[in-house]
Amino acid sequence: MYKWFLAWRYLHTKLIAFFAVCAVALCVFMVLVAMSVMGGFVDKVRERSRGLLSDVIVEAGTMQGFPYYQKFIDVLMSDHRDVVQIATPTIVAYGILRVPDTTLTRPADVRGIKLDEYVQVNTFGQGFHYDRYYPGTTHLGLQRQPFAGFDADGALTLPPDHVKANEKWRRAETDPKAIADYDAEPFRLRGSSEGGDRIFDVDSTDIRAVYGGDAFPGVIVGCDMINERTREGGYKRWDPRGIRMTLTTIAITASGNLTGEAPVSIPLRLADDSHTGVYEVDVKAVYVDFDMLQKKLGMNAMPRGDGTFIQARAKQIIIRLHEGIELNAGADEIRTAWTEFLAALPVQLDLNDERSLGFVRVSTWEEMQSTFIGAVEKEKILMMVILGVISIVAIVLIGCVFYMIVEKKTRDIGVLKALGASGTGIAGIFITYAAGVGAAGSILGAGFGALFVHYINEIQALLERVHPQLRVWNPEIYSFDRIPNVVKPDDVITIVLVAITAAVIGATIPAIIAGRVWPVKALRYE
Amino acid sequence: MSKYLLHARGIHKSYQMGRVSVRVLQGASLDLRNGEFLVVMGASGCGKSTLLHILGGLDTPDRGTLEFDRQDVFTASDAWRRTYRSLSVGFIFQFYHLLPECTVLENVMMPRLVKASAMQWLLGGAKRTARRDASAMLDRVGLAERLQHRPNELSGGERQRVAIARALINGPRLLLADEPTGNLDAAMGEEILRLLVELNRGGQTIVMVTHDPKVASHAHRRLHIRAGVIEEAKARNGARPER
Repeated sequence: MYKWFLAWRYLHTKLIAFFAVCAVALCVFMVLVAMSVMGGFVDKVRERSRGLLSDVIVEAGTMQGFPYYQKFIDVLMSDHRDVVQIATPTIVAYGILRVPDTTLTRPADVRGIKLDEYVQVNTFGQGFHYDRYYPGTTHLGLQRQPFAGFDADGALTLPPDHVKANEKWRRAETDPKAIADYDAEPFRLRGSSEGGDRIFDVDSTDIRAVYGGDAFPGVIVGCDMINERTREGGYKRWDPRGIRMTLTTIAITASGNLTGEAPVSIPLRLADDSHTGVYEVDVKAVYVDFDMLQKKLGMNAMPRGDGTFIQARAKQIIIRLHEGIELNAGADEIRTAWTEFLAALPVQLDLNDERSLGFVRVSTWEEMQSTFIGAVEKEKILMMVILGVISIVAIVLIGCVFYMIVEKKTRDIGVLKALGASGTGIAGIFITYAAGVGAAGSILGAGFGALFVHYINEIQALLERVHPQLRVWNPEIYSFDRIPNVVKPDDVITIVLVAITAAVIGATIPAIIAGRVWPVKALRYE
Repeated sequence: MSKYLLHARGIHKSYQMGRVSVRVLQGASLDLRNGEFLVVMGASGCGKSTLLHILGGLDTPDRGTLEFDRQDVFTASDAWRRTYRSLSVGFIFQFYHLLPECTVLENVMMPRLVKASAMQWLLGGAKRTARRDASAMLDRVGLAERLQHRPNELSGGERQRVAIARALINGPRLLLADEPTGNLDAAMGEEILRLLVELNRGGQTIVMVTHDPKVASHAHRRLHIRAGVIEEAKARNGARPER
């Protein structure tokens, strides 16, 4: 048992052990940070992809969409209700969003959605800003701009439905800090102290909190599209709720041709902004009402001159499966249902409809994102391989350090052998010592690594403050606005165990050499 | 009990120095009585230390036999030889060879810790007993006040006394001292020698290597190694123990 005793002594009295501990700690730190960030990135891609897409997507391969979508949704909801929880159609188009008051113009990925259904198929509804403080007030129907005013006591107030909704939020909110933050900045209609006058209707003589302006359909805009991101990760909102916006888009006919008319310009009012956390989405996503967009793009059902109808079209059907339904099994059932549905359609389909339907694909969210997820997974593996090589270097380094220690301790080894210690026992001292170095280094490295990962966004903000060039995580490149900062306990345990094993492996050869030292030679060693 | 503790017969030992084979011992033989204080003398490089290492089971001869308490040391198993080194023999070295990371007390405890099993360690008994016995042993060599000091905080004489305490902690029947005063000044050397003589008077069998005739004069018997063989010279005080 002198092995434990001496290993412990060597561990805390030998300066050289400190360097070995540092080498292990640095390796563990690097691997943990890389594994957490890359792993977190993959997890986030998966989580957000699923959050944005839901489980199964029936998608047209063409921009003009596909007909009979509602009939298929009806089939799903009646014949496959044990698998499908909810299904909703969407339209995808491209356009330009303009805020007339500020002349801000942005390219936009336009999505027509049925809001009440869309928030049930995925996590879209969880990222609304105004709806958090005024629950139930976000909708895509006709709306006017809410203005602040004064109540009978002369205190600042908001329109009555906002006041009521806010009280509801206050009752449900469990985080006192959130309420305190709201009270510090009560008029979340603007979200920042600058431009405060714009929450009042400056053109009106009415000092009460009212709705003003003409009624236009609502629009939900990606938060990075119109707001200014702060260094702390929050947003400064310059455009108040209800501000007028114009969306310009292009209509495409059922055959895929441009209509030949001027681009469609739709006046809208800002209903809310949405934060999905995926930068690419938040910087250009614009959500408007499905029916309104369908009509504006000419994708609604229309009579032909011969008395027949051009079928209404949608770009996607987004489907959420019931809890517990296996994703691929659910997708397979929907694929079969689609094939059967096509077979049951009237024999004489319109040529354009027939072609559009031929391009429809049923995919799981994983299949839709497989290229991206696969690339990130490969990047993660590559990173692990590189770090594995670095770890092998660390093993060699530990081997060198321990060889030096054994060389330096040759005389002590001789003494211990003279005292009756066996070769295995002597080797055991250095193996235990190495395990101690591995344990100390890996605990240190894991501790600092976990702290670093936890505060990685704050550290980046700090570096950015020192010099903007030091910002390493660009949301435009990595899609997410924040660096993944979750450390998985499983990862920590694995890395610590691997580090201890690596340290022991590194010290094995020097330990064997130590065990084989001839005592007489060791005692004469100077 | 036999009056002899150890018999060495026809010990041969040679070393390879590059291409040259150096024959150090060429048929050295000796008999050691229980309680005897034996001194081995000779010129530098004559094989004194080699003989001591062979007697202590640290080195193996090319030829010859060594019997300790009627057991042939070199035909016995490695485990037996380890136990022999641990329990039957105590070593004192010229350069003390204390473990620098350990305190005086821990150095003296070390032979006990080497001997202790995992179970004895875990139950705490081994360490407690070792600590108690080591303290007592250090008290016996006059270092009761230096238990927590490191070897580098001690004088040469004190270090050698620690080494003696370490050699004695397991109560060995044979104490092997390789020039224990060789690295000390005269006063310190005399002090260590007095301690060894005192131990011998208490019944401890000692084999000491030295090239100093003054130091050798304290022994019962003096042996000289010349041309690889042992020759006996009568000690000045002449007396031989009758054990």
